[in-house]
Amino acid sequence: MAFTPGPLVRAKDWLVRRPSAFTLLLIVALCAVVGGINPVFFQMSNLFDMARACVVVGLFALGVLIVLAAGGLDVSFTAIAALCMYAITKAVLRYAPGTPIAVILLAGAVGGALLGALNGLLVHALQTPSLIVTIGTQYLYRGLLLTFVGTSLFMNIPASMEAFGTLALIDRVSAQGTRSVLPAFVLVLAAAAALTWWLLNRTLMGRAVFAIGGSLSIAQRLGYRLRTVQVFVFAYAGLLAGVAGIVHVSSNRMASPFDLHGMELDVIAAVILGGARITGGNGTVAGTLLGVVLVTLVNNVLILVGVPSTWQKVIVGSFIVLAGAFFAIRRSR
Amino acid sequence: MIRQTVCALTAVACITGAAWAQDKQSIVTVVKVIGVNWFTRMGEGVKEFGAANASVATSMVGPAQGDPAQQLRVIEDLVAKKSSAIAVVPMDPSTIEGVLKRAMERGIVVVTHEADTARNTQADIEAFDNTAFGARLNDRLAKCMGESGKWTTFVGSLGSRTHMQWASGGAGNAAKYPKMALVDAHNETFDNANKAYEKAKEILRKHPDIEGFQGSSAIDAIGIGRAVEEAGLQHKTCVFGVGLPQDAGKYLETGAIDGISFWDPKDAGLVMNQVAKLLLDGKPITDGMNLGTRGYDKVSVKKGPGKGVVITGQAWVDVDKSNYKQYPF
Repeated sequence: MAFTPGPLVRAKDWLVRRPSAFTLLLIVALCAVVGGINPVFFQMSNLFDMARACVVVGLFALGVLIVLAAGGLDVSFTAIAALCMYAITKAVLRYAPGTPIAVILLAGAVGGALLGALNGLLVHALQTPSLIVTIGTQYLYRGLLLTFVGTSLFMNIPASMEAFGTLALIDRVSAQGTRSVLPAFVLVLAAAAALTWWLLNRTLMGRAVFAIGGSLSIAQRLGYRLRTVQVFVFAYAGLLAGVAGIVHVSSNRMASPFDLHGMELDVIAAVILGGARITGGNGTVAGTLLGVVLVTLVNNVLILVGVPSTWQKVIVGSFIVLAGAFFAIRRSR
Repeated sequence: MIRQTVCALTAVACITGAAWAQDKQSIVTVVKVIGVNWFTRMGEGVKEFGAANASVATSMVGPAQGDPAQQLRVIEDLVAKKSSAIAVVPMDPSTIEGVLKRAMERGIVVVTHEADTARNTQADIEAFDNTAFGARLNDRLAKCMGESGKWTTFVGSLGSRTHMQWASGGAGNAAKYPKMALVDAHNETFDNANKAYEKAKEILRKHPDIEGFQGSSAIDAIGIGRAVEEAGLQHKTCVFGVGLPQDAGKYLETGAIDGISFWDPKDAGLVMNQVAKLLLDGKPITDGMNLGTRGYDKVSVKKGPGKGVVITGQAWVDVDKSNYKQYPF
């Protein structure tokens, strides 16, 4: 008589094979708990606000995903975003206030890609762990920004950015007369997610990224060029960061060089909670987006649940530790 | 014998002379974070004092991010370099008690601002009584709300004592009005306008009928104002906070922010350096004295929690849509 594993074991195996399913379960459980405590959670406006809050974190996370998949780690993306967004906004205001948003987004993408490419070149040239290099460039980019570009926030951003930030996909007015808006810039995240998925799953470059992240020596024997891949992944992460910076300024309707700082770990946590391995070689776009939703959710429901402000950090920290522990246990089997 | 004495005296004179020549007093002002408009304005006061006092070299330093640990490192550097005086605006006073104690033990004059709990300071300068300021701000909010309805408070960080005092002063004042209800107090924004915005949205969702917001960090009101404006509630809610006229102007114009209060950081910078100079010269600081700056012309001087004194002025400025343009910073 053949041995058939019990349903519990099968369920466990299925979860082990699909880490993002666990993330999804966590999201569903969290929504159920929060919605049970405060039904306000299930309002449309809440969904819109979550979507809005996910965009910048999501763009960063997709960049981190592709770097992680290639076996690297990047913590300089917030500095890249801050430098691009502040320098470009300032330049547009001073020299070409009428610039259309498409050009500004493109400038953010190009600027970010160049700074990211510099990360990649340094990682390759110095043969140093990319974490160390990007900690260095994070200080460098932030230092350049504060020393040479400017340090004061300004509220008068270019009209095209303001219009882009307030452009609505859906615009509803509730019974109490409160407006809630699903901003159009969520499409930027959708486009970036689609592009990243295509890159990772449908191109040679994507295959090279996973190969190098999985096992460098084997990948090199197969003829993948390490330098090309490294420069590419960091440049791509920089490109997304530059775009994220422009979106951030547009949605915030102000440019502050101090913004976005300190989000690095939140973003990396989101990617890990989405099932990517910190050691490289795997990770999915869908999982990453789920991880972003999870982290954003935890950060944005504590008031609704009625957690006093002094306890909020404790809750966020414990949550990340517990979820992270699950992934670690899953891998050690 | 005589010759030896003369020689020795000459040597001593030479040494002291050399010391005199290089001993231009240095007063370094350490701010919470470098580059934000508030502290840039404070820097103007620091510069002005240096320009008016040739015997003093004034300068301003601070960390690039609002982080108590980074500020601590900046001060440790200054103690190692042995400036004559350090005037500090602590991010979190308890973090730097130890280093300030060491500074004083090494003979460095220590002056603080916005830290009336600091034990290791010779003089702490307060623009005004914090509880009274919070109450004043809240009184404007109460008038705007018609003295009834739900309201909440925002703070830049839970470790920032002044923010907590303003928020509590506000709560104390609102207690006078039985129809005002404080909900979900002390929302922490980490001095980040986007966080303030997200928390304000969440508050609006949880309490759709909320009528009042009182902010503490210089950017709280901006974030709250944006959330209120996007929700189309600028005429149904009252937003009051601390901030700078130039930054809040856009939302003051639309009514998303109804009023702000502040003290002029330039004056605070001037007075910190003024007090540091008095202490360096060994001059007394007395109750009711005039420090020569607007709002500090008749200061109250009380014994502080440590060996030093707490100097309190009456240097607040209230602005709204009608008069914010008079303050060009």
